[in-house]
Amino acid sequence: MVHSTRAGHCILRIFGWTATGCLLFPVLFCAWVSFSPDRLFSAPITNWSLRWYCEFFQDARWISAAVRSVAVAMIAAIISVGAAAPVAWRLAQRNVALSDRRGNWLHGFILLPVCVPVAALGAGLLPLLSLSGLDGTLISTVLVHTTIGLPIALLIVRSQVSASVVELCSAARGLGGSRAQVIRRVTLPLLSPALAVALMAVFVISLNESVISVFLATPANETLPAVVWPQLRFNASPLVAVASCVTAGVGSIGVFAAVLVMRGGD
Amino acid sequence: MRVFWTPLHEPATRPSFWSRMLPITPAVALVASVVVAPLVLLIRLSLYAPTAGRGFYSPGTWSLKAYSSTLDGHGLSIVLYTVMFAVAVTVVTLSVSCPMALFMSALPRPYQILALVLLLVPKSAGLLAMLFGLQRLLPRGNVGAVIAEVSLIVPYAVLVLVVQLNSIGRQLPHAAAGLGASACQVLQRVTFPLSLPGILVAGQLALIWSLGGFLGPLFLGGPHQTTLSVELYRQAFDYSRWPRAAALAVELMGVTMLVIWLCGRVYSGRSFAGPDRISAGGATG
Repeated sequence: MVHSTRAGHCILRIFGWTATGCLLFPVLFCAWVSFSPDRLFSAPITNWSLRWYCEFFQDARWISAAVRSVAVAMIAAIISVGAAAPVAWRLAQRNVALSDRRGNWLHGFILLPVCVPVAALGAGLLPLLSLSGLDGTLISTVLVHTTIGLPIALLIVRSQVSASVVELCSAARGLGGSRAQVIRRVTLPLLSPALAVALMAVFVISLNESVISVFLATPANETLPAVVWPQLRFNASPLVAVASCVTAGVGSIGVFAAVLVMRGGD
Repeated sequence: MRVFWTPLHEPATRPSFWSRMLPITPAVALVASVVVAPLVLLIRLSLYAPTAGRGFYSPGTWSLKAYSSTLDGHGLSIVLYTVMFAVAVTVVTLSVSCPMALFMSALPRPYQILALVLLLVPKSAGLLAMLFGLQRLLPRGNVGAVIAEVSLIVPYAVLVLVVQLNSIGRQLPHAAAGLGASACQVLQRVTFPLSLPGILVAGQLALIWSLGGFLGPLFLGGPHQTTLSVELYRQAFDYSRWPRAAALAVELMGVTMLVIWLCGRVYSGRSFAGPDRISAGGATG
């Protein structure tokens, strides 16, 4: 981009960094408040206290919800990437064909979870699950989180399955490798950065999937957003801030790990 | 890269139908059962008689009462508010994302990646923390709801726009400036027409997501900031009127599909500027 006026360049830069700061500030504010010493949400300036963190880690309900969130996120990430990778492979086979109508339908179908309004999805899932008896089970939560992560996993893996990858694999087949050998020794190593990034992306998204979790939560089967939610709506103690920051911390680790993998692959 | 190999063995004949279909079956089955089936169930659910708070439905009944009670004056005002809310959020999102994307595409590559990660972290990693902070910092009401929804959508809009701007590259704007155009002219006659597809995609995304706007109006809106999603949630959980909630969900789906269709019409009816159009405009302008 050419900027022949320095003033214009400066204004754009100020706007850009200010806007980024504004988007980050609520999270930083939340982290700040989680250290406040009393119930009043006062942002601590002199009195920093780890009191709420201690309470969080000693409260069984919060801890079990947090553990369940992380477990569901990990399982959902693995299943989601495992289901999306063959679809990405199939879509890449006909990469050149503009009239790959079946491929386009498949692509659109797998992207459906993103296009449907979340509240409508939640409102439909709750009756469906309770009528089929899966209501409140861990497996239903895992399946729902997996499906929500499918579009993102597909997009990430699809962007890495280029024509050269497909050709290398068919070359390996032509050299006499069996299906399993080719997958194990050629395809997976070639795709492993994309698969790793997709795993982390779905992990982070599933951790923060609050709307559906709230619709489907039962007392025996809560994930962390479902516990945070009523307190965010109605009242709260800084415990909510702590729970949000813990989620943010775990999620950030996932995001930065993904970035490292991508940088390593460049 | 073309690879030329003489196969040592004959490659396998075209795989059978089932071995082609089997790998993609899990994904298709997941989407069919977790997304399509609930929506179909919602349509049936909305056609049951009102339950007056007992259970999901009264078995065996058929009634349009859910629709008639959600499409009265109050219901239509909710639909209208949802659409206006979505338009407002889209306008604000685009007017914030375009300068931000311009700014980011001008950054050197490592800083660009850092800025994008900083942008995505609040939404993806710290959604709850972000909502908490927004709730404390902003006043409740229209302003708060719009700003909250905007900050949920801006990261993705900026991502789409930055990818589009990066694909334009720096050569054409440099060439235009070398031919004597000022910065404003470069923006108006080169960058903007070339990035129009990306802007339309970002706008479409923002519109569709803000139609289903739920977190923003729920946490930072007052009683008047009721979109279809919020009303749906209240009917389902606060009043236990599931047929009504289902009817609202069907209406929401209908509005969303209508908007998608309209966007598709706009998208296909437009002819986009390509490099040949730019050079023609530059020669005559």
